[in-house]
Amino acid sequence: MRQPTIAALLALLAAAPALAQDIDAMSPEELLPLAQEEGQVVVYSFTSRIARVEQAFEEAYPGIDLIGYDISSTEQIARLQAEAAAGTVNADVVYISDAPVAVPALVETGILVNYVPPRVADRLPDEAKAPLLSNRLSTKVLMYNEEAHPDGSPVTNLWQLTRPEWRGRVLMVDPLQRGDYLDLMTEIVLRSDEMAEAYEAEFGEPIDLGDAPDAGTRFIEDLFANDVILVSSTDDVNAAVGALGQENPPVGFTSYSDRRDNEDEGWALQVANDVEPANGIIFPAVLGIAANAPHPHAARLLIDFMMGDDSETGGPGYAPFYVAGDYATRTDIVPHPDAVPLDEFRAWRIDPVATAAIRGEVGDLILTLQ
Amino acid sequence: MTQAVLDDPPLRHAAGRRRWLAPGTGLKLVVLGLLALLIVMPLLSTVLFTLTEESRGAWGDVLAGRLSRALFWQPLLNTLVIGVVVSVACVLLGGFLAWLVVMTDIPFRRTIGVMATLPFMIPSFASALAWGSLFRNGRLGGRVGWLEGMGFSVPDWLAWGMVPTLVVLSLHYFSLAFTIIAAALATVSSDLVEAAQIAGARGRRILMGIVLPVVTPALVAAGSLCFAGAVSNFATPALLGLPVRMQTLATRLYGMISVGQTARGYVIGILLVLISAAVLWAANRAVSGRRSYATITGKGGRAKRFALGRARLPLLLVAALILACATVVPVIVLFASSLAPSSAALFSNWTVHYWIGESNPAIAQGIPGIVHNPDILRAITVTLTLGVAVAGAGMALGLLAAYATARSRAGWLSATITQVSFLPLLVPGIAFGAAYIAWAGAPIGPFPALYGTFLLLVIAGTAYLVPFSVQTGRAVIQQVSGELDESARLTGAGLARRLWAITVPLAVRGLAAGGILIFVKIIRDLSLVVLLFTPTMPVMSVLAYRYASEGFTQFANAITCVILVLSVAATLLAERLQARSQPWLKS
Amino acid sequence: MLELRSVTKRFGDVDAVREVSLSVPDGAFLVLLGPSGCGKTTLLRMLAGLEMPSAGQIVFDGQVVSDGDRAWAVDPARRNSGLVFQSYALWPHMTVRGNVEWPLKVAGMARPEREARVAEVLRMLGIDGLARRFPNEISGGQQQRVAIARTIAPRPGVLLFDEPLSNLDAKLRVEMRTELMRLHRATGATTVYVTHDQIEAMTMASHVAVMRAGRVEQFGTPLDLVERPETAFVATFVGTPPGNLVPVRRNGTGWVVGGRHMPLEPPADGAQALFRAETLRLEGAEGPRTLPLELAEVSTIAGRVMVTAIAPDLRLTAVTEALPAARVGETVHIGLPETPAAWFAPTGERIG
Repeated sequence: MRQPTIAALLALLAAAPALAQDIDAMSPEELLPLAQEEGQVVVYSFTSRIARVEQAFEEAYPGIDLIGYDISSTEQIARLQAEAAAGTVNADVVYISDAPVAVPALVETGILVNYVPPRVADRLPDEAKAPLLSNRLSTKVLMYNEEAHPDGSPVTNLWQLTRPEWRGRVLMVDPLQRGDYLDLMTEIVLRSDEMAEAYEAEFGEPIDLGDAPDAGTRFIEDLFANDVILVSSTDDVNAAVGALGQENPPVGFTSYSDRRDNEDEGWALQVANDVEPANGIIFPAVLGIAANAPHPHAARLLIDFMMGDDSETGGPGYAPFYVAGDYATRTDIVPHPDAVPLDEFRAWRIDPVATAAIRGEVGDLILTLQ
Repeated sequence: MTQAVLDDPPLRHAAGRRRWLAPGTGLKLVVLGLLALLIVMPLLSTVLFTLTEESRGAWGDVLAGRLSRALFWQPLLNTLVIGVVVSVACVLLGGFLAWLVVMTDIPFRRTIGVMATLPFMIPSFASALAWGSLFRNGRLGGRVGWLEGMGFSVPDWLAWGMVPTLVVLSLHYFSLAFTIIAAALATVSSDLVEAAQIAGARGRRILMGIVLPVVTPALVAAGSLCFAGAVSNFATPALLGLPVRMQTLATRLYGMISVGQTARGYVIGILLVLISAAVLWAANRAVSGRRSYATITGKGGRAKRFALGRARLPLLLVAALILACATVVPVIVLFASSLAPSSAALFSNWTVHYWIGESNPAIAQGIPGIVHNPDILRAITVTLTLGVAVAGAGMALGLLAAYATARSRAGWLSATITQVSFLPLLVPGIAFGAAYIAWAGAPIGPFPALYGTFLLLVIAGTAYLVPFSVQTGRAVIQQVSGELDESARLTGAGLARRLWAITVPLAVRGLAAGGILIFVKIIRDLSLVVLLFTPTMPVMSVLAYRYASEGFTQFANAITCVILVLSVAATLLAERLQARSQPWLKS
Repeated sequence: MLELRSVTKRFGDVDAVREVSLSVPDGAFLVLLGPSGCGKTTLLRMLAGLEMPSAGQIVFDGQVVSDGDRAWAVDPARRNSGLVFQSYALWPHMTVRGNVEWPLKVAGMARPEREARVAEVLRMLGIDGLARRFPNEISGGQQQRVAIARTIAPRPGVLLFDEPLSNLDAKLRVEMRTELMRLHRATGATTVYVTHDQIEAMTMASHVAVMRAGRVEQFGTPLDLVERPETAFVATFVGTPPGNLVPVRRNGTGWVVGGRHMPLEPPADGAQALFRAETLRLEGAEGPRTLPLELAEVSTIAGRVMVTAIAPDLRLTAVTEALPAARVGETVHIGLPETPAAWFAPTGERIG
């Protein structure tokens, strides 16, 4: 009994790569019937916009139930690792923003595999295809209330945030709870030279580092000393910064694209673009498929869908992300007319490898400041 | 001595069976095995995890070095401040109300007595949410609470951090102190007080000289239990303290685990267990060193009540104020804020959207009201199923453990069962949850890992409430005294038949009541499940917490209202079933 | 026949029952008599099969039912014995009928037979009118009868009683005593009865085992115990009133009792003399064999007078024909007979 079972298993293992190649090469039309047979696809998503993807997806492909969970990137990583340790697979598709951690923690460990839909492969730059597919660039940048400041951003240099007039009036999400904010802090440290220049520009004298090893660290220390307010979600930042009718609203780091909700939520969020040395970070939002996903065809179909159709704006699959402040990775999707064009946008483009290298240290730094 | 002299005829042995072990030992071993699996193994695997090569450094990070202040010492200080202040406040508040209800002629004693036990039925995060709806100020910008909406300016210290945490926790745990102290005061018989009066003592003298010494063990017990509860409470400091970066060990533990710094989290959890255990142990020692007074109070009658005279009305007002703050106000605020689009105007523009509305992109990012929200409906199903499953499993286990140890209390087996079954009392819920992740996060032998399964929630909930279910089981078994079972054994009825025909019918009310209380405890629990939660297995309390921390307070409050109604209704039902004797309420 | 062979029971380090050996014939009424904590209930529970002896055997009708040396026992239900608990242990959720019937049901007795037997025992104990009541609706004495009815219904060969009368008031206790003896005659079952009340033992027993500290001090008929007590403990524990035990010490020239020289010939120094109450006299004046004591209690019993007088370390009870002239608190002179009924060594065993 035993031997044949093992033999069968071995055969299966040997066949697996072939199967994987096969399935990765399938067109959406080929995937659809198999996906409908699976009937379901489960997504862990770092953005609540998954709800709108769900609606569009289920309309486009009836018979496949998309179950989306809105889970922060940091928590996704912790969960996926725990689930992998437990030998269970709950999610088929993972939509995550925290590439610097996700790649070493999930891709290199084999928890996630990369999938690039063949349909769009030729319309993506290389950096958007590996190590994980990216459908857009997202941001964590300085935003202000344009109702209170109709003439533009009240902040033009990051160092101004350490001045007394911004004491207790800068918001961000706790970088220990949200990886993209930790990436922002890490980027500031990595860009210490630029921070030092910006300091001199702001205060007219070279920076005195004190005990800090570099200008970026010094900035973070000063920011925390100036009573930066940590909240637990970007919506808290948005509401605090953007709410209409405020006389002296705070500023905060949040997603440029959250400006899309201004009308619905009664906000007046606007991005502060002219900020020295930069207004924040811009980073890829990546998609991956769980190794041993229970619904492999539906998962691939969904990723194909989320990359957008062949229209100028990506159609319904990409619509939730076709907003000012998100930048499509696909070269053929036209930039959003209301957004600051990508080449004029002042945010730092993060380097996942460099970020991953010192991220833990920056995290510990934040820990000591809290 | 003459003894019947026996010649030794060859003896025939009747049809009997050999007993390798003392009677009941097999059952005890089974029970002990279960408890070890449920309680000892998770805790042990947590400790072992922190001792592995790659995790060992976490001890150094937490206890010494650059990070230790932020990771451990500052949260420890906050935790201790919370523990000490809350336990003192609870003993004062609870003791004051217990004294009024049991020993004085205050009007509405029965009502005060019932109201004083209510706060403990309300989940502690409910009060924290209510606090936010009232006192939230503009520090975080955006939405403000009702007071600011009314034009008052709420200072930071009142809106966030230590002060509100202390107030909310004190108003939550004082009812625990009340219950314990009132029960102790009820044993102070009129004989004792009258004997003191005959000796010439008056009011204050009797209180200080007779009453206080008799109830001191109860005061210490109440204080230590409130301490243990307060230091392990997660929801309140998380909701009220984190915005001002106030960390306790519980919130730190949660933070570390939820960002994947598991080893550091476990170390903090182990330290939290040690602190909680040390306090309970020390308190227990302090009390057990004394003689038990309960047995010498004799059979004395109803306590004669102190006449309060002119202080009656002012004291009634004080009691009413405390109870209103602890129960009435939070409930009203919660309900109102589940209807009000803006917490700044709690009592206007009410809408039932958050309860029954369909998804509308203009409101709360299109989250539909709770009756249309699949996440919430699923959470309600999961939570109720969980409550029933844990209640069933808990009572079965409690009954079994109590039954196994009731027949022969002597012996190390019984002692070990008793001690292990009370172990979870020393373990804060959040640390227990962490232990279960350490234990069930990987396959155990041939069994698949339980992480993310419903079974894990049931097992963890059952294990966490073992002290409570064993205690209930014991009370039930005591009702069904050993001789009732032995007399059934003598008839030749087997264990199953005896349980079915004798034990269960006699115990069914007690069991049902105990089961319902376990049900309540599990459906309103947050600290245990907050770490075990997976999106695929949502429970109401965690969902409420998440909605609250993401700023959707109306949904959080609506869910909390549902939990609240379920808890209170179930508790009242259990009390009716149990016909719980509250001797201090008999007039 | 019911036999105990060197039965011992240890709870941890404590020997609750030590090396008890005795045997009684079928139909005997054996009373285990002793103060609380002497091990008599433990012994009874071993007979019932509820406890396993740590050593020794219990033999019913030549069949070993418990063997402590081999940790082997017959199930309580298969020993042909029934136990009446001190607390009665009536199942409160069953009616009187239900309580009596359930054991028969468990034993698999057919319904018509069962109903007949229930009716029979309820009649036998005079509680047939209470069949539909619940235990909490009847009096203590009635509960006692139900407990007995429940135990005898399956017709056990050995009936075991654990202090069955201790929860009843004095008058009811006397009535039930008679009732139990009648029942014993009617059923013919070998009965083992545990009590600390020596009057119950003396009136009911065919055999008595006096127990102290886990041991049987003496085993015999009630008459044996009163007439020929084997130990000082037995002498002072049985009899109404119990015997007086007086220590006799050597003092230079002679023997001293209660501070006075007496013309006695004890077999050893420090021996204790047993004087029966009926042999003590109340003397009008001091004599060679009198002791001056303080009168402590006087009570009349069946036309005679029981007088108790005390001195430090000494307490004597005499039964006399007339009331003493002295009042309580005054000095009386108690006269001792020439020879005591028995002598006991300081360690308690009989030496003459």
